[in-house]
Amino acid sequence: MTERWFPDAMPSPAVTDDTRPFFDAALEHRLVIQRCASCGTHRHPPRPLCPYCHSFAAAWTEVPGTGTLFTYAVVHQALLPALVDVVPYVVAIVELDGTGGTRLTSNLVDAPLDSLRAGLPVEVTWEDMSPSLTLPRFRLRSER
Amino acid sequence: MSRKACVVGIGETAYTKRGAATEREYVLACRAILAALSDAGIDPAEVDGLAPFADERSSPWTLASDLGLRQLRFAATTAMPGGGGACGAMLEAAMAVESGQAEVVVVYRSLCQGQFARIGRTEATGGGDSSPTVMEAGLEADALQAFTAPFGVLGPSVMFALPMRRHMEVYGTTSEQLGHVAVTQRAHASRNPRAVMGPRPLTLADHQGARLVVDPYRLFDCCLETDGACAVVVTTAERASDGRGRPVAVLAAAEGTDGAQLGGAAANAGATATGYARGGAAGVARRLFGQAGVSPGDVDVAQLYDNFSGQVLLGLEDFGFCAPGESGPLAQSGALAWPDGSLPTNTAGGNLSEAYLQGLNHVIEGVRQLRGESTSQVADAEVCLVTSSPGIPTSAILLGRA
Repeated sequence: MTERWFPDAMPSPAVTDDTRPFFDAALEHRLVIQRCASCGTHRHPPRPLCPYCHSFAAAWTEVPGTGTLFTYAVVHQALLPALVDVVPYVVAIVELDGTGGTRLTSNLVDAPLDSLRAGLPVEVTWEDMSPSLTLPRFRLRSER
Repeated sequence: MSRKACVVGIGETAYTKRGAATEREYVLACRAILAALSDAGIDPAEVDGLAPFADERSSPWTLASDLGLRQLRFAATTAMPGGGGACGAMLEAAMAVESGQAEVVVVYRSLCQGQFARIGRTEATGGGDSSPTVMEAGLEADALQAFTAPFGVLGPSVMFALPMRRHMEVYGTTSEQLGHVAVTQRAHASRNPRAVMGPRPLTLADHQGARLVVDPYRLFDCCLETDGACAVVVTTAERASDGRGRPVAVLAAAEGTDGAQLGGAAANAGATATGYARGGAAGVARRLFGQAGVSPGDVDVAQLYDNFSGQVLLGLEDFGFCAPGESGPLAQSGALAWPDGSLPTNTAGGNLSEAYLQGLNHVIEGVRQLRGESTSQVADAEVCLVTSSPGIPTSAILLGRA
């Protein structure tokens, strides 16, 4: 098991046909992003069709998991009882490298709260929440 | 006379802190509607349309029966969600009376967060210390939450903090500028006897010293949690000319969203990088001003949706009162303050300081301004802009003298 940052009582995602490849890959600690199999445009969150060419065919691309912090919010109020000992935590919107600007909602862990700013380089790390669920989190990356 | 839509009645129950209402939410809905009809001088039997919005629990069908409507001819709920819908409900009502589908439509909202789930918390979607909550993905909108809630995006405070932080990063908007919004609205509330926070003065130092809820939002950047209900009566100009009230014209109404905001910023679905820190209502604004043949410079007073202080800033930008990125300095300059600001805004205190009725109270304050009855009355007000929530599919109206 990996390091843990969030409690077991976090909401667990319901998996649909559209999103199963994302979560299956995460179990293997691989970050994959959906692309339109017809026009190649990245899209996230995974959706059943491409809003640009309306193809229902999807492909999946493994990405390196590096990117930059696009925006963030530091949550100080425990919005679930199980988060009382976790706050403050950082919700991070990460712009992923190699995806045409695709952004992922995740968390920035182990980062000093007083030095956060958009543009910081980050890289994926993984949190095994249960035998059937692994989620991507992000850490600050020292080199660009 | 024309069938042009007019507001002829407004009504509300007492607004109280969450949990302080002594009657059930549904009873408050009935009382607010009867108060608005009394204000309009219209017999409840003559109401033939009802237009709720958001997740309204008081259903038009039971209200039609309990209020003794002779005949319900029209009932519709705008699909603009939550706080995006108050002005959309006004659009439904205006379309109904202007098309002849109905003669008298009541727009209403009853919301007692002390009796049901709190909107700002995740109790409704479960979560607890013992067992993990497996989310349901029955609806596509819920499916998007699989990419937000497991990461702690557990309520509006997180959802709306993300684009505001981006606004601060890109444009240099500051927490103090957000504080000016909150402090200005509290000053307006101090003159409004209905305002829940009216008796509690707020200084910029108080704002800056308050605890962080979700950085960048501090306690007084967040809307209230209250109990109450309110209602607005819409009919035609022709019918209004017979009434005893002073009608206020619905000059224009529009709803929708720019593509960049579909799904909301927290989920990232569809939002472009340049559209991320915008409210997504620029298209609504263009259509609204176009319909009425007026420009932002013609607006004398505004009620801009404020579930969080920064949402007011996004409203100022989307509706053309300043360029993107300039709303923080505009608020800091005192522009939003009554009586001396160039655009007195949220003159009853808004969601931050009057009560949280998801913006129908903003419509009511707009009507009061045009009747000359506001407790922060803008002299000779002729045009009032009322907006619903930025950052989600939304709506807006322009009110004017009939």
